[in-house]
This record gives sequence, structure tokens and C-alpha cells, in this order.
Amino acid sequence: MLLTTLYALWASAAVASAARLTISVGASPQLPNPASLSASTHAVLLGPPGVRYDVPLRRDNTFLFPDIDSASYLLTVHSRDHQFPPLRIDVEKTEDAASQQTIEAWQTFRGNEWSNKGPSYGSAQNVAKFEVRPYAQKEFYVERGGFNLLSFLKSPMILMSLVSVVMIFGLPKMMENMDPEMKAEMEQMTSSKGPPTGADQAASTIQNSVQNFDFAGWMAGKTDSGGSKKR
Amino acid sequence: MRLPLFAAAYLLLRTTAAVYADEAWNVDYHYALLGQPQQDTTFFHQPSSSSKASLVYTLSDKGVVGTVNPRDGAIVWRHALAQNVSQHSRGFLRAAEGQDVVVSGIENQVAAWSAADGRLAWDLKTDGPVEDVEVLELDDKLATAGTKDVLVLTGGDNSALQRIDGASGTKKWQYQIEGNDQAYQVSASSTEVFVILLHKTMLGYYKIRVVSLDSVDGHKTDEYTLSSDSELATQDTILSVGANSASPIIAWTDATHTTLKVNLIGSKSTASFNIDKHNDQAVEKVSIQAPYHTNSLAHFLVHYETADSHWADVFHINLSKNKIEKSYSLPKLSGKGAFSTSVSDANVYFTRISQDEITTVSSASHGVLGRWKVQDLGVAVGASERVTPVHAVSELSIKGDSISAIRTAVLLSTGDWVLLRNGNSVWTRPEALADIESATFAISSAVEELAQELETEAHSNPVAAYIHRVKRHIAELRLLPNTLITLPQRFMRGFLGTSSDGGMAKDTFGFHQIIACATRNGRLIALDAGSPDRVLWSRQAVSLKTGETWQPQLTSHADIISLEHDGVKEHLAFNATNGNLIMTESRTETTVSLPNVGYTFENGGLEAKRLDVENAGSIWHFSPNTNENIHSLVPRPINDPVASIGKVLGDRRVLYKYLNPNVALLATTNSAANIANIYILDTISGAILYSATHTGIDLSAPIASLVSENWFAYSLTASASSESPKGHQLIVGEMFESLSPNNRGLTGNFSTLETTGEPYTLTATYQIPEPISKLSVTQTKQGITSRHILAYLDASSAIIGIPYTVLDPRRPVGRDPTKDEQAEGLLRYAPIIEFDARWYLNHQREVLGLTNIITSPALVESTSLVFGYGMDVFGTRVGASGSFDVLGKDFNKFQMLATVVGLFAATVGVAPLVMRKGVDSRWKFT
Repeated sequence: MLLTTLYALWASAAVASAARLTISVGASPQLPNPASLSASTHAVLLGPPGVRYDVPLRRDNTFLFPDIDSASYLLTVHSRDHQFPPLRIDVEKTEDAASQQTIEAWQTFRGNEWSNKGPSYGSAQNVAKFEVRPYAQKEFYVERGGFNLLSFLKSPMILMSLVSVVMIFGLPKMMENMDPEMKAEMEQMTSSKGPPTGADQAASTIQNSVQNFDFAGWMAGKTDSGGSKKR
Repeated sequence: MRLPLFAAAYLLLRTTAAVYADEAWNVDYHYALLGQPQQDTTFFHQPSSSSKASLVYTLSDKGVVGTVNPRDGAIVWRHALAQNVSQHSRGFLRAAEGQDVVVSGIENQVAAWSAADGRLAWDLKTDGPVEDVEVLELDDKLATAGTKDVLVLTGGDNSALQRIDGASGTKKWQYQIEGNDQAYQVSASSTEVFVILLHKTMLGYYKIRVVSLDSVDGHKTDEYTLSSDSELATQDTILSVGANSASPIIAWTDATHTTLKVNLIGSKSTASFNIDKHNDQAVEKVSIQAPYHTNSLAHFLVHYETADSHWADVFHINLSKNKIEKSYSLPKLSGKGAFSTSVSDANVYFTRISQDEITTVSSASHGVLGRWKVQDLGVAVGASERVTPVHAVSELSIKGDSISAIRTAVLLSTGDWVLLRNGNSVWTRPEALADIESATFAISSAVEELAQELETEAHSNPVAAYIHRVKRHIAELRLLPNTLITLPQRFMRGFLGTSSDGGMAKDTFGFHQIIACATRNGRLIALDAGSPDRVLWSRQAVSLKTGETWQPQLTSHADIISLEHDGVKEHLAFNATNGNLIMTESRTETTVSLPNVGYTFENGGLEAKRLDVENAGSIWHFSPNTNENIHSLVPRPINDPVASIGKVLGDRRVLYKYLNPNVALLATTNSAANIANIYILDTISGAILYSATHTGIDLSAPIASLVSENWFAYSLTASASSESPKGHQLIVGEMFESLSPNNRGLTGNFSTLETTGEPYTLTATYQIPEPISKLSVTQTKQGITSRHILAYLDASSAIIGIPYTVLDPRRPVGRDPTKDEQAEGLLRYAPIIEFDARWYLNHQREVLGLTNIITSPALVESTSLVFGYGMDVFGTRVGASGSFDVLGKDFNKFQMLATVVGLFAATVGVAPLVMRKGVDSRWKFT
């Protein structure tokens, strides 16, 4: 938003020849019409300590840095609704001609060493124009999960209640449909109170352990019936 | 053992960081402000020649150029042109008829903005400060067809006048001003360009020098000095009228405002008029209103003000005779008033805005063409305060000889900018809020009373408490009829989800806190954080003279707001609910009874002294390294509750936090070597608990820092080197008593004065995409809820809430987290944090120029109130762990009711079956 170069070094800018950099905003699937960008969109060119240029978006969808010094810059485009990739822009004096400046641009990767450059955006003498495109639209909002019948039915409470409904209604029907011999056998099994056999004893231990399950101990991380785990 | 409880709470309170679509725009509020509009940079203008509707353009005292839609007061576009505008820097904003750009000039820059959408058309850097900008209306052979050129006058050592091409912003010619005269103004008639310079005489008076130039080549054609010997002691009494009027004039008065002198620029003679007194009160201010059009009538209005009345005279310029004649006077009215000029074709209209009515007259005769009563300005004011208009701009719609409608944008003495349509207030913009110096949260009296009553019940014996309670309930019975009447309505609204959470008085959740703000013009303005669409109350706390500044400090205790400021050494206390002044005491009387330590910056270092002992020597002294300066000192917040003294690990062991209430983060910088040093200090003993040195730091970028609980965070910008990454960094450090779990180390319970136990500090550095200019942290009542770090991003004009878990320094580096670490919610360390757009608390709003963010706990534990100020004002509620103790909008009342009904139906349906089964099992034998 700042029009001025905040801390620009005027003196050295006057001495150096004018390197003129234009960054244009290209159309992309995320931004079919760059003219729809809001006026608050701006680009920041961050150089060595103390050198920073900040320019607003122009009517022709470009950012113009009319006069930049020789240095290595990080270019960031700030927009309300879109995200732009950061660029590395190097402005160097051309060796053979002192009045010439070479401007070169690469993609750069945040969090990587500065020498790690991405694909080049091109290079030019004195006057350069590069194009940037937004790679993503900013998503500000989270929609709440609405009511969904399937997920409602999938919830364990509903599943349990459904099973119990099946037991209440289905089991008597099943019992009725069984043939009388089977029924008698089952009745005998449930009401058998004979002397305990070995198999019976094992079954009753399991039954016991299920009944006397130490729920609190299990919750507290007890592994076996021995000592509890150090807390 | 409370630890399992906290482990459960921790697992429950998983951080959520997002703005929900249904809460955005409802929970948060934002005043997009411009600052106070200035008289000569505010106008109605049609953004393009084809559009009929006009917008209000202004360049404010904060250096913000912007446009407001006169229909609803919404900002169309705006740009902050200057970051640190001093009171004295002048800004200029000009527009020309039929052009689609507006031209601004401030400091060293001139820029043309597309009037409709605010895009930049061209800009220009100037060598000296901009002293004046004018659009050249005349059409000569140098002009480009369809565009109008711009004249830029720059001051400084090399003052010069430039003619700038209106389409491209390139220079057409430049006239270098010789001599040391101060460049004052540029003015243009329909044929010539004039530069007005101020020549300082030996005696310290000013003389006005006028240089006329050829508009085509910029050569000097004539020059003369106006004889104003020993009349002009200051520049303030020059009331000159700028360019483009049919006949530009320059007018000035003497220091006592007894005579008005007017010169038609281009002629060497001056006309002199006596200024009458009114009721023996001297005229305090004289100002001039004139049309800004070359083709309008050459009439102007002079506005006189005394301490309690104002009036105006209208003058006509006879162009053929080069004479100025007084035409008529507008009657004297008590109180202050404002005048505005409107032009329709060649006719000029003057509109007078007094305290209770708006009247419009034609410049040709004194007959009143339109008169509108001003009923209600719609602004909050103090009890005995009279609101007066400061300045105004008007737009008339004229049908035949009468005025069918009038729109007037008035700046009021309260700092509100109001649009009146035919005398009725359409919108109000509280522009005084753009200058908040200090702000604080307070609680309304009703809530505070209840809290106090509950407190007395809690602390008296059971019988007394019971009697008190019964009495209180009997007293509340009086409210029962009202409550019963509103009950169905409330139930209905609650069910449909349209209700808010009750008003200020019944603030169940503590969302309706009062935010008191002290502004630069000496006012106190209160907002309700729960219903922020209007100003709760506003009053003048201290009266400041123009240009006077103050440094207010607002603090609050329950429902009392106390204000301390350096202007007059006093301490004022206000009722938070209505803004009434409760008491005034001079600050010297306040005695400090508790052992307090005060800190001062002395001799480039930090000095700690006991305040309760007279003439006490310093307890400790911190002096930075050579060539270093103290950049900032940020203490841990006073109200910073911590729920747990340890961090529960995944395997239920505990890492004990280093909790010390007296911790501050001190940043020192060495600007020559680009080094920033960060120290964590114990502010009682002066011990350095942790320090870090960062080299290759861009010190012109902001360094924001924050201390809370047992951790600190700071952000800085590193410059490039081939091995290290360039960019902005956020560094988080967390202090523990020891790094081995279940071990409190040597410290345990300690006194900082006796032990020198240093904490074990873990730090992590993250690369962030943009600089942070201010850091703050959410606050909740008990501190159980996890925290968000609030960061203001200047480049994106956004406040983001970063969950602490994202920044946790204990994130495992170079490996995936173990099962226990996963249970704790730790993620594998990644050096880059991309600011997710869902973290933006302001979502699509653009919050400009915040300088501070304050937070306050709500009554419910889940929620923290956030308020940011500086230029814009933004506030919201943040539930860092989700709204676990409030039914949010995600709670589906229909679903709940459907479940209840369904269960009831199922119970009714199943009951006979169960009954039959019971009977069958006893009676049926098979």
C-alpha cells in the first residue's frame, strides 16, 4: 500500500542507471481476469537491509519499479484474494558496459537457502518485464459439517440401538421359527445345573473375569493383574 | 492428582483455527477508517465523465487517500500514502472536471489514481517535499487532448515548479525558483500560471512574492512583491485561494484579524476591508470559500469566527474593472458553523451548516434557496457537550431555480464524519477512532454489580448469605413481568438462532465488554464488543489545543476506566457504562504501597528501581553491548493465568514449565552490523535467562515480540546470503524447569532473588511468508484453552491467529513423531509455515495500519475477545479450542429435538412389546 520506497537509498539510486522493472499479472485459472484484482494489491521488492520498494497495482495490471539499485531482491505480491509465488530478482551491473544493468528473475523457495533457485523467468538489460500468475485463491472460510443421514446412522450410539432393536424384535421370531428339538436342546443348555466339568470351569473363569473386569484399572493403563504401571 | 484431568482436558481441547463461514461478518467487526478529512482535500466528484453518481474523495490527516460512497458511507478504495505522517506535513488532493483520475501529493510523491477503482495511473517522486499540486484547467498548445496536465510545486533547498503530463506522469517543463524564498502555492488563471512565494524579511515578517509564468514553456513573464510589510507574522493568516477559479485571489489578514486584504493575482494592487467585531469579541479565525472552476462566477465568501458566533460576507470580483466589491452579508449566528461551496454550470452556491440547520444561498443574492432542519446527527456525545461542524462539503441537485436535494458531508468537532441528506443523517463514520492512542477492556456496571453480590454471598457466613440471596431474588421478582412478556420471543429467537446473547446488562458469556479508547484529540470513545455497530458513548476527556499532543494510558478495573496522561499530571476515573467522570486526582498524591519495581531507560540502558522506597538506588542495570541500542522491551502480561504447571506428555509424564511472573523480552539492535540480540530477563533480579544473537538482520523491518506463560516469540527479517534463506522468521522459545520428564530440576519452588536457576529453553525457528509488525496472544479466564498467537501482517493488512501447536518448539526435527508425541499433538518439524487463509481472523476484510492488538478473556473459558487499533479498528472473538462451553451455531437444535421426539416415539412403541414379553415369560410355558 505504500507508494514510496520506504527506506530507499536515494543517493545511490541517483548514481546508478535506472533499472526499470515491470511485473505484470497474468491471467490464470484462479484469476481469469486480472482487472478484477482489488486496488489494495501491491508488490514488495525486498533487498539488502534498508532497501525496500513497495508499489501499488496500476491500471494496466502491472507493478512498476521505475528505478532499482543493483542487488538481489525478494519479490512478494500481496493480494487480498490470491496467492502469488515469491520471486528472486537480481539486478547486476553488466561487466562490459558500466551503464547497463542486467535484471534476472527466478522462482525462489521459501525456507531454502538463497542460492537454491527455481525455473528462470528470463533476463533483460535495463528494462525488464516479467509475468506472475497467482497459483491459488485464498480460502478464508470453513463450512461446518451439516446434517448427514449416513454419518448419523454410522455413529456407534445409533448402531448399538439398532442392534438392540433387532435383538428385541428379531430374537423371539427366530426362536419361534426354530424346530422343536433344537429349542428343547437350547433350553436344556441354559437351564443345566449339573456338576461343573473342566470345560464348564474354564468357561466360568472367563465369565468371572468378564464380570469383574476392572474398568477403572484398565482405563488407568493397568496391563495385567500384577502391579500397575508407573505413573 | 489433577494431572489426569488436564490430560483429558488437553485431549478434549484440540486446537481449531478457522473462521466459520456462518460466523464471519457476524462475530467480527471492522471500522474501515480514513482519518479526519481535511477541508481543502475533501470533495464530491464524479469518478468518470460518464457516471452520474458522485463519490466523496478525501486525503485525511493520516495521509490516507480514499473514496467513500455517499449512499452508505462504505469505502470504495483507499491507499495509505505515508506511514509516519507528522502533524505538519501537508497533503493535497485535486480532481478536474471530466477526468477519471484524482491527483494526490504528499511528502515526496505525486500520484494519479483511477477515480473509480483506485488503481495507480502514474506516480512521480520529487526531490523536495510537495508544497502544492494543481490540475491545470487551461487548454494551451502543450496540453494533450482529453487530459489535463498537473502542476507540482516542490519546496526544500531546490524549490521548483513542474508541469506534468496528465496522461503519463512525465515532466513537460520545470521552472527552478531562484533565491531562498519559500515555495508556498501555485495558482492558475485561464491564461497564466502563478507561483506564490514567501519572502522572509530581516524583521521576521513575510512578504508575498508572485511570479507569473508562461504555461507553454515555463518561462518567467513577470514578478512582483505585494506590500504586506509587518502584517504577516505567520503563514497561518494567509487565506489564499488556489488555482482555477475565474480570477484567483490571494487574501491575508493581520495577526489580530482586524483587516482583510485581498489581491487579485496578476494585478499589483490590494483591496482592504475592515473586519467588524461582534459583541466586542475579537474575530479568531477568518477563512475563504471560493469555487474551483475557471468557468464559474468570480465570487467568494469570507467566513469569520469569534469565540461564540460566526458570520460571512460574500464578495464579487468585477473582472472588467479588476475590482473587488462586497455584495452581501450572511447574518451572525451564535455557535460555530461551516460553509461549503457548490457549483452548477456557472452559478455558485454557498451552503451554511450551523448547529441546527443547513441553508443554501446563491452567490448572486442573499435570498435563501433552501433551508433544512438538522434533527439528529446520530453521534454519541458527552452530556453537556455541543457538537459543532468543523468543515463541510456539499452537493446540490438543482431543478430550475430551486434546490431539490442537498447532500452534505460534515466533519464534526467530535471527530465524526457525517453525511446529511436534506438535513437527515444518512451515515456516520467515527473517524476519531483512527487515532486511538490507548484502549482497554472494561465490564459494564450491571454485570459488575451481580459479580459483586455473588462475591459477598461467597464470603459471608451461610445464614447471612442465604438471607442475602433470598433478598436478591425478591428484588429480581420486580423484573419478572417483563421477562415473562419477552420469554416467548426469546425462546423463538433462540430456537431459530437469530438471537444474539442478550444485551449489555444480561451478559451471560462476557462478550459484551466495553472497549474504551482514548483518541489523539483528547476524547474517550467506548464501543460495545458484543454489538459494535454503534459507539456506546463518547466524551471529551481533556481539552487539547490544536497541535497539542498527549500520551494517555488507559487501564480498567471492573467497571471503572482510569486514565493517566502526561499532559496534566492527573488521574481520571470514568464509569465504563456511561462515561461519567467519577473522580479526579492529581497523580503526585498516589502512593505506592506494594513493593513495586519501576523501569526506566537511562544512559542507553535499562534501569530497575524500587518505587516504594524513596531515593532507592537501582536494583540492577542492563547495559547493551557497545554500538547497540535497546529496541523494545515486552513484559509478560499481568493477567496471564496458567492452568497447569506442567506439560503432560503422551506417556502421561510431565515436563514442568518454568513459570515466572517477572519475565520480559528485551531486544537490542546494532544497526551498523545488522545484529539483533534477544534477551529474556528476570525483571526482579535482572538475570538473563536466555539470549540469542541474530546476524544479518534487516533492522528497518519490524521486530515484534511477545512473552506469555513459559514461552516467548519474536519475529524478524533476515537478509540474504547464499547459504541461508532470505526472508521473515518467527522464532518461538519455550522454557522448562528441566528437560527430563517428572523432574523439577534444581529450581522447584524458587525465589528469583535467592536462586540463580536458569530454565532450559527449547527454541524453533520458522520461515514465514511476510513480516509481522505486532504480536499478541489470546487470553482466557482460566488459561485452560490452548492459545493462539495473534500476529498483524502489515503487507496483507490482516490479523492472523496462529495455533501454538503449530509453533511448538518441541516438534520433532528430522523424524516422524513417535506415538506418544502424536498423542500430544506434535507434528514433525517443518521449517516453513505458510499462513493459511483460514487463520485470517479478518477473513476478507482489509484491516489497515494496526499498531496494537489487545485481548481480554470472556466469562466463558473458551473465548477470548480481540481488539486491534491503530488506524482501522477491528475486533472479533476467538475460540482457540473451539466453542466447547457455548452452544455455537454448529449445534443443530432441530436435530436435537428430532432425536428427543424419535426416542420418545421409540419408547412408546417398544413399551407394549416389553410388557408382553414380561408377561409371557411368566405365564407361557412351552
